[in-house]
Amino acid sequence: MKVTLATIIYLLIGLPSAPAFAHHAFAVEFDAKNCSDIKGILTKVSYENPHAYIFVDAKNAAGEVVPSTFQLSSTSNLKRGGATYAAMNASVGKEVLVRGCASRNGEDNRYAASFVKLADGTIQRVGQDVEGIFGNKIWR
Amino acid sequence: MKTYIGVMLAAALMLPAAAGAQEKKPFVEARGSVKPVPLPPGGPAPRMSDGHVDLSGNWFPGPTGKANAWSVDPDPRVPEDPVPFQPWAEAKIKAMSRVDLELSSANVTCDPVGTPGMFVDNAYMHLIDMKPGLFIHLIENNNRWRVVHTDGRPHKKPEDLEPLFNGDETAHWEGDTLVIDSISIDERTSIRDGWFHSDQLHVIERLRRPSKNYLEYQFTVEDPKVLTKPWTSAWRVHSLANEDLTENFCTRNENVEQLKKLNEQQKSGKK
Repeated sequence: MKVTLATIIYLLIGLPSAPAFAHHAFAVEFDAKNCSDIKGILTKVSYENPHAYIFVDAKNAAGEVVPSTFQLSSTSNLKRGGATYAAMNASVGKEVLVRGCASRNGEDNRYAASFVKLADGTIQRVGQDVEGIFGNKIWR
Repeated sequence: MKTYIGVMLAAALMLPAAAGAQEKKPFVEARGSVKPVPLPPGGPAPRMSDGHVDLSGNWFPGPTGKANAWSVDPDPRVPEDPVPFQPWAEAKIKAMSRVDLELSSANVTCDPVGTPGMFVDNAYMHLIDMKPGLFIHLIENNNRWRVVHTDGRPHKKPEDLEPLFNGDETAHWEGDTLVIDSISIDERTSIRDGWFHSDQLHVIERLRRPSKNYLEYQFTVEDPKVLTKPWTSAWRVHSLANEDLTENFCTRNENVEQLKKLNEQQKSGKK
């Protein structure tokens, strides 16, 4: 048995994972170090694939309305996780809080969302957690 | 050799220590997050009227019998040999940026994932239906399908072959393992992470059902124009789901445009 340095490095950092990836690697397109909580009125739910989207009218520091787009997971994952079309639409026109990580290409107000606090207070998983923390206490 | 193994063990032992040093974040009890619990074996695998193992069922990747996209634990990593790329092929892949790699995936572009992509580039549910002599494979991911005869018939004659995303496929049984043999696979498919292939790609997939609740998958790639020798994956675990397939057509793919924009920015030095 010959174990080379290349094998060791491969074992440590190059192992293929079990097939649990999503449609694609969110962290390539979105910045896991540029995430924030965005509060606003949910205006629309677009329930499509490979990703669903929600649209939120947030407000900036000056009180101006900032239309923001959040990419969610696939409809398959959303349905299986409880974020059904009906459950999401129940918050349309109401205030929601979204944890979103900004797009790396600088497109204004475009985010990937990991969690949404819906109008009824439910904290709903809606996407890959690019921060790698599965939420934190700011969500309490 | 002792030194090599010693280094490997030391390095492996450092991993948990490093992980433990990181701050443990509190878990948010968000609806949709999944705590993984593997299924029990569930008893012996069922058999068809011809005596062969019946692989029929709805199957999720992973051991829980559920969608594991939002698992709170990382999936276990499966040790596999490095892919033996020819030097030119390895250099070509290494020259790709992360965005290039994303854009090379049919899973990102919504092109057909092909063979072996239906298993390898697919995080969603499979529906397998079998009858003696026939393997029917539906996947939720963009509503793809393939049908393969399992009677060991030969491939089409070379003059009759055409490039197909799933290739020219035939299958036979080796004991309780179904072996699917595919050639003439469209060069627009890739295997994973930038792993492109030539027109000489030959994929041998193996499927077995060690117990009622588990399906295992392995594939071998032969490609003399790209690899120095054949490569075989580890066995990958799928588990029996108590759910139906959902409709999942790719109708609004914004990622390609967004990634191309990012790629242009990165290559021009703006990002």
